[in-house]
Amino acid sequence: MNQGSKTTCRIRPDGWLWWLLLAAGLLALWRTQRTIDSNSGWREAHDGTLYFTSGKTLRALSLGHGGLLADIYWTRAVQYFGRKQIAYAKHYNLLAPLLRITTELDPHLLIAYRFGAIFLAEKPPEGAGEPEQALQLVRRGIVANPGYWRFWQDLGFIYYWDLKNYKMAARAFKTGSEQPGAMVWMKAMAATITAQGGEFRTSRLLWSEIYRQAETDAIRRSVLAHLAALRADEDIRELNALVARFRKQCGREPRSLGSLVQAGYLKAIPVDPSGVPYVLGRDGTVTVGAESKIDRNLLSESSSSPGSPF
Amino acid sequence: MIQRIRTIALHTFKESVREKVLYNLIIFALLLIGSAVLFASISLGIERIMLINLGLSSIAVFGLLMAIFIGIGLVSKEIDRRTIHNILSKPVRRFEFIIGKYLGLLLTLVVNTTIMTGGFYIALYYVQRHLAGEDALLLETIYFIFLQFAIVVGLALFFSCISTPILSAFFTFCLYVAGNFLADIRWFGRESGSVIFEKVTALLYYILPNFSNFQVISQSAHGKAVPSYMLTAGSLYALLYVTIVISASILIFEEREF
Repeated sequence: MNQGSKTTCRIRPDGWLWWLLLAAGLLALWRTQRTIDSNSGWREAHDGTLYFTSGKTLRALSLGHGGLLADIYWTRAVQYFGRKQIAYAKHYNLLAPLLRITTELDPHLLIAYRFGAIFLAEKPPEGAGEPEQALQLVRRGIVANPGYWRFWQDLGFIYYWDLKNYKMAARAFKTGSEQPGAMVWMKAMAATITAQGGEFRTSRLLWSEIYRQAETDAIRRSVLAHLAALRADEDIRELNALVARFRKQCGREPRSLGSLVQAGYLKAIPVDPSGVPYVLGRDGTVTVGAESKIDRNLLSESSSSPGSPF
Repeated sequence: MIQRIRTIALHTFKESVREKVLYNLIIFALLLIGSAVLFASISLGIERIMLINLGLSSIAVFGLLMAIFIGIGLVSKEIDRRTIHNILSKPVRRFEFIIGKYLGLLLTLVVNTTIMTGGFYIALYYVQRHLAGEDALLLETIYFIFLQFAIVVGLALFFSCISTPILSAFFTFCLYVAGNFLADIRWFGRESGSVIFEKVTALLYYILPNFSNFQVISQSAHGKAVPSYMLTAGSLYALLYVTIVISASILIFEEREF
């Protein structure tokens, strides 16, 4: 019985042909797939498709699992934003609709309003450069979560930093400061912006507060980059003022910042927060050095655009 | 009487536990709950929320599948195998048989939900590195999910008494879907401008099982506790609905001839 059940594994004489076909087929398949992948640029150029444009419809279809769908859409928004940012994209067409659907599916997903507004408001390529959409998102958050005062802080921040509308920013901080549980500094922020019309000191206050509240390292890194750019902006403004004074008093153009040192306007050539000396450009305005690690996209226009007078 | 119901319930439980599909569903549910940890890592700032949403939705969906696929065969299988003759020839009354069957499957779902809940809390502990007092509030949500199972099992048992397993599954699932849209159905009736249509939709609103009463997953993911009056009202609603469905099943089963 046992002898009968014993089996041996032998390759038939013509078996090599099938093995050859199998191996060649796999090799050809691998090669074909690589060709397809290398020519898939046209797919990436397409932004993607939103099969559902209404979060409310999706929530009804979810049979009570709207929260889970909201998480999926938020993840999709984060992934979309990250992909676009890596590609230095200038247009984030799907970001606002994705965030709208997310917050319609789960109107209490606070993080989607807060970080979503940052994603929308930041200038490209850091963000979508759509501060008006960010305002709409935060306003929807306020309507759905009236007791959450932090949204007023976000609203004030967008008005202040992205739209430079200091009056509206001050109003948002003031309204926020009147919400139950609001921190005392909201009132101070409103007062400072109203009085000063938006200065570096206030901006630093805002960013420091955001740094304090940041929950992820990515946000903290972004805030530190903004703070460094802010410091550089302030330095450049002061240096440009010195250059103007030099020009007026000496009656000539300084050749470099070294000229200001020689003339006694500066003790030494100052360095930016990344440790690289500032330079005097050919157009006569001060800017960060070529090796500087300061993100130029975060510098204010007066510091980054060569021709702008200070 | 209680002894006989208990015997049938335990027998049904043992029979259900032998179903291989049950284990597949439990394993798949546990895998999905575990995978929530991975899904959360590709998102931003919603680790806990996503784990709760995905974990509780997995328990709800897979429990629902178990309730339907086992519930639909409760009576029809006994009829097909002709084992119903053996059972009813013994001193067992028909209503005892139906109640025993229902409780047996409910017991199966209690055990399965407990296993899935255990898996869910392990995943939650893994993400948070601790379990806080507010995590215990999630048990209220799981209780609400279980109340849905209780109604679905009742519906499956009811259809099992009058139809084939495939049609029973179809009817039960349709009622579950309709039960999630009752508020919209009623709203359509109001907006239609037709008095008759409005009355019909209002009637449907009260007759069909309103599963949206038990949808609290999203709220609990944001740390909101189910209000105590909702716990009481939800429990009462489920109890009443199960009583109605089981009574209807008994009435039909009493009239059937084998």
